[in-house]
Amino acid sequence: MAIAEAEIRPRAGGEGEPPQRPTDDEPIARYFIYSGAFWLALNILAGIVLSVFLYSPPVIQQLVPDALKAAINFGRLRPFHVWLGIFGWVSMVWIGSMLYLTCRLTRARLAWPGLARTLLYAWNGAMLGAAITFPLGYTQGREYAELTWPLSLLLEACFIALAAIIWRTVAQREEPRIFVSVWLFMISSFMTPIVYAVGNKLWDPSGAYTGMNDAIINYFYVHNLFNAWFTTAAFGLVFYMLPRFTGNKLYSHRLAMWGFTSVWTGQHHALYSPAPDWLQIVSVSFSILTVIPNAALLGNWWFTMKGAWSQLRENLPLRWLTVGMIFYLFTCLQGVAQSFRTFNSLVHLTNWVVGHSHLAFVADYSFFAFGLIYYLIPRMVGRPLSLRLRRAAEWHFWVSLVGITAFMYTLWFMGLEQGRDWAMGVPFVATVRNLHAWFFVRLLSGVVLGFGQVIFLYVFVRFVTARKAAAEA
Amino acid sequence: MSVPREVAQLTLGSAFFLTLGVIGTILLPATFTPPPSELATAYTPQQLHGRQIYAREGCWYCHTQQVRSTEADQGAVYLAGDIGPVSRAGDYAYQKPVYWGTERQGPDLSHTASRPQTAQRAWQLAHLKDPEALVPGTIMPSYGHLPESDLEDLVEYLLTLK
Repeated sequence: MAIAEAEIRPRAGGEGEPPQRPTDDEPIARYFIYSGAFWLALNILAGIVLSVFLYSPPVIQQLVPDALKAAINFGRLRPFHVWLGIFGWVSMVWIGSMLYLTCRLTRARLAWPGLARTLLYAWNGAMLGAAITFPLGYTQGREYAELTWPLSLLLEACFIALAAIIWRTVAQREEPRIFVSVWLFMISSFMTPIVYAVGNKLWDPSGAYTGMNDAIINYFYVHNLFNAWFTTAAFGLVFYMLPRFTGNKLYSHRLAMWGFTSVWTGQHHALYSPAPDWLQIVSVSFSILTVIPNAALLGNWWFTMKGAWSQLRENLPLRWLTVGMIFYLFTCLQGVAQSFRTFNSLVHLTNWVVGHSHLAFVADYSFFAFGLIYYLIPRMVGRPLSLRLRRAAEWHFWVSLVGITAFMYTLWFMGLEQGRDWAMGVPFVATVRNLHAWFFVRLLSGVVLGFGQVIFLYVFVRFVTARKAAAEA
Repeated sequence: MSVPREVAQLTLGSAFFLTLGVIGTILLPATFTPPPSELATAYTPQQLHGRQIYAREGCWYCHTQQVRSTEADQGAVYLAGDIGPVSRAGDYAYQKPVYWGTERQGPDLSHTASRPQTAQRAWQLAHLKDPEALVPGTIMPSYGHLPESDLEDLVEYLLTLK
């Protein structure tokens, strides 16, 4: 099998590798990452406002002028926060990195650069549309599918364009082998438009199905958008980062190939609901089967890290990746546990779930994204971080790690307490009062996490603009 | 161009999984359309407008509309067990979309119109305007900034949740 021998051999490992010269397909990839950082800033800001709402709504509502009271309210900022986080920040770093790496790994020029530029504008347009329409109250009222019909069609077109660019670039490749990362990008970009179209019912402007099936299909969509897009693409990115960052060969390509079986599940969100029992049972079985792709990823990570652990002190991208992988292990264990009926009955619908989704999107995918950014951006720009920015980047890592850890543990604790109170028949408002102090801890840890991202944006903007100044001089 | 064997296999493999997922979790359940239960409501235009306001203001992010089979005995809004009867598929027959929800920062609303206090139109209206005054310790924001007619329509919708 050609791919099995075709290791991605790093020329020289880790951060010691000399920066490569920029080529002309890179600016477009870079601008996706720049856009992602911009949406991250808005996402964090909204997250902190939402945290204050959960602690004490009047604090915000008394500050806000009457004209903005409708727009700045929990129910309207919640989709704003989620969309800019997952489709703005994570997705745009994913796309930038995928386009860049697809060219690198296939030794091909980016196909249809004009389309790629249009994709950049269109994707940002869809995010701008989300950022404007959600506070104005335009929504379809379905999780991860709130975007109104015209913007939803635009995003679907973006997903299709991305698939076209990646597949066409691979078709034009000079490198005969197709590395595991590249085909995971191909698979991910191929499956996502289908999942998005079905989940959003794109042929119907209301975007909703009728009755119980609407909930079932929404759960299918929510989980499989996660599997097909965020996870499958992340697997491709990790299989690039691991050998690159460590300087080791990827442990097993054969194992890595099982990564695509990110399993088709999602109905475990419907346990104990009116959804048919057989569907709930199938979903638990499929959730257990996620052990296959996750063992493919985590096993490869563990064995590829052999001998590389000592690099963690100096190698910043590797540290982001490694801590992200440890949290990913948490995510897998939690995910499977949550799909078991006993545990599900305790934590479902509580703040535990909020902690779990932040675990996935912040502690896993954002950490991977930071690893990618600290590795790729200096190479795209063609020079390393200055000593001063490197020190600030160290603060970014530690402040983020402390912030997200405190944040998630607070939410998990709150979830367990809620679950216990509900099971004991405690009056609802008493369960809310029990959480009051914990919502404050959650707000504080959210502020710490947000401060970490302020440091990131400082490092990022200083690094990027310094390049422009140097070019002009 | 020639397609490498691995890519063909893996593309077909993932297409197979995708098809399996769509058939298993979308097409098969879709063949089963539960008949409306006695709790299902065919909405009037005013109630439907109220339902749109429920979506617009994002009520469904904090309030679920599903009583799970594990909690019917103990689940509490005011008293243990008053969360109401377990939700059945037919209850949702006329809803598009449904608001099962994913989080419960506030109480479940499936049967809000069947509890003595929350069944009152005046209580619901006053509560939307100033939740803290009626439920001390609540973390629900005020909706007093919305036009009176919107609040009335929203209450009409809430009162269909029997």
